[in-house]
Amino acid sequence: VTPSEGARGGTGRQLEMESVLALRGLVLLRDSVEWEGRSLLKALIKKAALGGEQVHILGCEVSEEEFRAGFDSSVNSRLVYYDLFRDPLNWAQTGEALPGGPLGALQAMCERTDPGPVTVALDSLSWLLLRLPCAALCQALCAMSRRHACRGGSLAAEQLCVLGLLHRELHGPGPMGALSSLAQTEVTLSGTAGQASAHILCRRPRQRPTLETLWFSVLPDLSLDLQGGPPLESQPHPDPHTPQVDPASHLTFNLHLSKREREAKDSLTLPFQFSSEKQQALLRPGPGPATSRIFYEPDTFDDLDPEDPDGDLDV
Amino acid sequence: MAAVATCGTGAGSTGSVVAAGSKNHVTSFQRRGPRASGSDSSYSRLVSIAGTRPSVRNGQLLVSTGLPALDQLLGGGLAVGTVLLIEEDKYNIYSSLLFKYFLAEGIINGHTLLVASAKEDPADILQELPAPLLDDNFKKDFDEEACNHKTAESNIKMKIAWRYQLLPKMEAGPVSSSRFGHYYDASKKMPQELIEASKWHGFFFPEKSSSTLNIEPCSLTHGYIKLLQFIQNIIYEEGFDGSNPQKKQKNILRIGIQNLGSPLWGDDICCTENGNSHSLTKFLYVLRGLLRTSLSACMITMPTHLIQNKAIISRVTNLSDTVVGLESFIGSERETNPLYKDYHGLIHIRQIPRLNNLIYDVSDVKDLAFKLKRKLFTIEFLHTNTDRVNTEKTFITSDFRVIHVF
Repeated sequence: VTPSEGARGGTGRQLEMESVLALRGLVLLRDSVEWEGRSLLKALIKKAALGGEQVHILGCEVSEEEFRAGFDSSVNSRLVYYDLFRDPLNWAQTGEALPGGPLGALQAMCERTDPGPVTVALDSLSWLLLRLPCAALCQALCAMSRRHACRGGSLAAEQLCVLGLLHRELHGPGPMGALSSLAQTEVTLSGTAGQASAHILCRRPRQRPTLETLWFSVLPDLSLDLQGGPPLESQPHPDPHTPQVDPASHLTFNLHLSKREREAKDSLTLPFQFSSEKQQALLRPGPGPATSRIFYEPDTFDDLDPEDPDGDLDV
Repeated sequence: MAAVATCGTGAGSTGSVVAAGSKNHVTSFQRRGPRASGSDSSYSRLVSIAGTRPSVRNGQLLVSTGLPALDQLLGGGLAVGTVLLIEEDKYNIYSSLLFKYFLAEGIINGHTLLVASAKEDPADILQELPAPLLDDNFKKDFDEEACNHKTAESNIKMKIAWRYQLLPKMEAGPVSSSRFGHYYDASKKMPQELIEASKWHGFFFPEKSSSTLNIEPCSLTHGYIKLLQFIQNIIYEEGFDGSNPQKKQKNILRIGIQNLGSPLWGDDICCTENGNSHSLTKFLYVLRGLLRTSLSACMITMPTHLIQNKAIISRVTNLSDTVVGLESFIGSERETNPLYKDYHGLIHIRQIPRLNNLIYDVSDVKDLAFKLKRKLFTIEFLHTNTDRVNTEKTFITSDFRVIHVF
């Protein structure tokens, strides 16, 4: 994973942004309270709509008027909006609501897409995750891309983009981990000192995942403006991985000696080393025979010959 | 009298166990039994099924996992009738590669495959299998990647040794090999004719499920029930449990289950801590019963890093026979650790079964690391560079010169 930051040329950055933002499959926009993601979602929707794709939106958290505010009329006319905000449980029974609740709405959205490049925006995935069982939601999201692929042919799997807005603080590690494992791209929004950044983690099928960081801002007309890097005065210290990792720690074999161990090792005399202490100990006569005598009481069966104590004289 | 029969004479000689696993009986030792020269396979208990061999330690019938290095670490191979559980790495790159090696080994050996997945269509998985390595190509690549401490003389010796280990030259027909464990080229795909010549059954859960029903607590989820029924049907219909007596040639069923426990199977142990915690363990229990009574071996990959309740992981480990965990360095702080810079991840052998044995077959070295080169997946013992200091390699060449290499 190579985080790539730093100032580069503006157009080069633009091209790179285009390639990074060629988002396909399930894209999670993970925002938080400080760095909201709905403006980025709307910017991506505008980009898709101006690019000629069909755009379907499932609106759950904000009303349709509020969501459509900011888009100009050309974009607004291309958006197909499914409203789950006004009447999520279909109490008004107007008949225009999608059957089956939120899950049914997801499936119906997929049925109504024509073959071709499609962007589906879920505002928000958090709303769905709080009301549906996580496993069912994961299955529905996978089914969306598969059904689209079935209808379109072999290339169609690349043509569906599902943008899901996810609020990080609302969910525990379980659902977040489960959705991350399904997603092809995860965009995590954060920032420093008023400048928003997006950490984009792309998982391509059989390759190593790549991590990119982009600094951006969303202009009032919902177009994306990319900056080269974070504002200079708040440049983070470019060494987040200090201290240098010690390679010999946490192994099953121990390569280091503590100070006490090292002292003990140095002061140890080896058995065959004839040091001066040993010499003195051998030369000294010793504390005296009184402390090191062997007392032996021969018992009845002992047949010790006092002239031949070892019993090896052949007499 | 210890009769050393010359090669070719098949008269009953001293009784000795036939080295099963190879179709060409080049040995002259034969089992002393009621029919000394019988060739009827129905009487011999050590059936010579393609791609299997008995373990040298306890006589258990083994199949290869597709990676000879992993076979060695598991004590020779995967025992028939057991489950190999692979704990997936975080981005499921290397575990899916091991899964494909397992299936590719089945195709090369002519085993029947059963591929179950909730994410990918089994037909697509089979299209992505790696191609087996051929004699010439591998020799060429090995020479390219030869480490700098091999001398030319040892290269000659290695070339001769390698030639015995590889497949025969591949013709247009299917590869028939009497070897156990093959090498695969991860950068090439398995030829289409081999896949079509093989027998496989696919289970793709989204196609089999009719509706998303409510899950009762403490019962198997819908997906697991369907999968177990499917496996049971295949085992029964194709006679892997001996229920079809007119089948003459026995074969092994290789079952591969991908991403078991993920939410796509309808199981929510990855999503919550207090979900249906018994569904997966029940599934593994029933699966083990099915496997023990049939000639099959199963590899399961499971995203254990997503499971929220850690007690489930230990239960799952106990219910599986062999458990291998993969930990990749992508995105973790270990990537910057200079100790690990040559490798892509660690392998943890978490459990090895005791089958008809009292002791384990665990290797002494616990630090194992893997590396995915362009073509090969290698597993090595992890060593620090300090191990390499002061080691020299000594070669004796054919004209008795001694060469030291530092």
